[in-house]
Amino acid sequence: MIELNANQLVFRFPEVHPQAVCRVNFQRTLRIPDDNREYALPPGLGRFPLEHVEDHAKSLPGDYQKRGGVMLPMYQAEALWISFTGAGDYPFLLKIAAGKINAVTGEPWQDAVSDTPQDYIVTPDQPWLDGFCIQKGLIRQFVAMPLGSGYTAEEQLTGAAEFGGLQIIAYPMKRERYEAIKAREVNACRSRSMDSFMCADMAMAPGMGMAPGGLMKQTIHKDKHGLDAWDLSQSSRCFVHLLNSQQWRQVTGSQPPCKPPTARDYTAAGLPWFEHYAEGKQALDGSEVLAGLDSVAVKGIKQGETPLPDNDPLQIGKVINLGSAKPSVSEGDW
Amino acid sequence: MSFGDYIRQARLARQQTDKGYSLRQVAGRVGVEPAYLSKIERDVFPPPSEQMIVNLAADLGEDPDVLLALAGKLSSELREIIVRRPQLFAELIRQLKDAPDHAILRMVREVTDGDW
Repeated sequence: MIELNANQLVFRFPEVHPQAVCRVNFQRTLRIPDDNREYALPPGLGRFPLEHVEDHAKSLPGDYQKRGGVMLPMYQAEALWISFTGAGDYPFLLKIAAGKINAVTGEPWQDAVSDTPQDYIVTPDQPWLDGFCIQKGLIRQFVAMPLGSGYTAEEQLTGAAEFGGLQIIAYPMKRERYEAIKAREVNACRSRSMDSFMCADMAMAPGMGMAPGGLMKQTIHKDKHGLDAWDLSQSSRCFVHLLNSQQWRQVTGSQPPCKPPTARDYTAAGLPWFEHYAEGKQALDGSEVLAGLDSVAVKGIKQGETPLPDNDPLQIGKVINLGSAKPSVSEGDW
Repeated sequence: MSFGDYIRQARLARQQTDKGYSLRQVAGRVGVEPAYLSKIERDVFPPPSEQMIVNLAADLGEDPDVLLALAGKLSSELREIIVRRPQLFAELIRQLKDAPDHAILRMVREVTDGDW
């Protein structure tokens, strides 16, 4: 079951284990320049608000109700990262997609899991996901663009603007495997939070999808448990719809969060960026399919458009090292 | 376990794998003096304000509701919910006080999954 609690998706599998709880939230953040330079991790500026789709069924097109799930507001060209840091210590296998394009492999969505190549992430080893995994240690940031404009990964790969949004499916670790794990360590992942910055109808335009933005140094970790560790008979999945700010106001009657600061303003204020080393963990190679996508800036040039304001290269000053993320649960000798 | 004990244990456990969880550094991140946090950890001072507890929970990766409960507090968000319909929620909570966890979880509103 999935519960919506304090703008967070809470995946629970009480039938597997009382501790089988995984929390996922969506963090507002800076959009890094899309200039083919590699940037550090931007901060989290607080959670995006989340609402049940069926609470606004009358104001949303039928597709939204059919797909169910939750919705959140984003401005065009706004970035987002997905946080798993409140996930607790019960290991989960999560598949994440944007527009039903797997964010790790670039393959079309399937509920089923594959380890050749690995098409999922593992929490709590993976504290967050900022974008599409394009090569070892490198991702392209999730940047919201209107469906139909040609920028999203979904449109570039399928030629259609059908789904948009984000999709998540969670599988818990097998109970016996979890209980066999002996040594317990606590999660060393520190929050990237910078909360102090927080400040329709049936003919509604298409929502938003995720396009590949600037390059960011981030490792997607290889599953150290192996596929047989996961209880693949148990899963919960959620469609996260992305509404633009105007649609959000129309549908919910409430204001979306204010626009995040630009990366330039943030940096000029002397505020920190982050880096994260996960010693001893193997990294996935990244997807050639995703690496072949045009970033928003490149696509904009090809289409004769300027989709990204404030996209000048940036010299980052202060970078805080978040240390190595030790796994919260480690396997013993068995 | 007292609030202070819990916070101290949680912080020390994290400090084993990350030096950023020293008393001084945690205090700095949540915006208090190290001496004040030390006294809270040793139960010399009573638990801090709701906001400070929420900040500590975020920094230590703990559940804020659990920390607030340990501190004998109710979040202002929950208080507001109860105050809006006090009789109904008081009765509901009394009815559920001995119910097993799975029975309570069955009442939680689920996020729907549709056809996609």
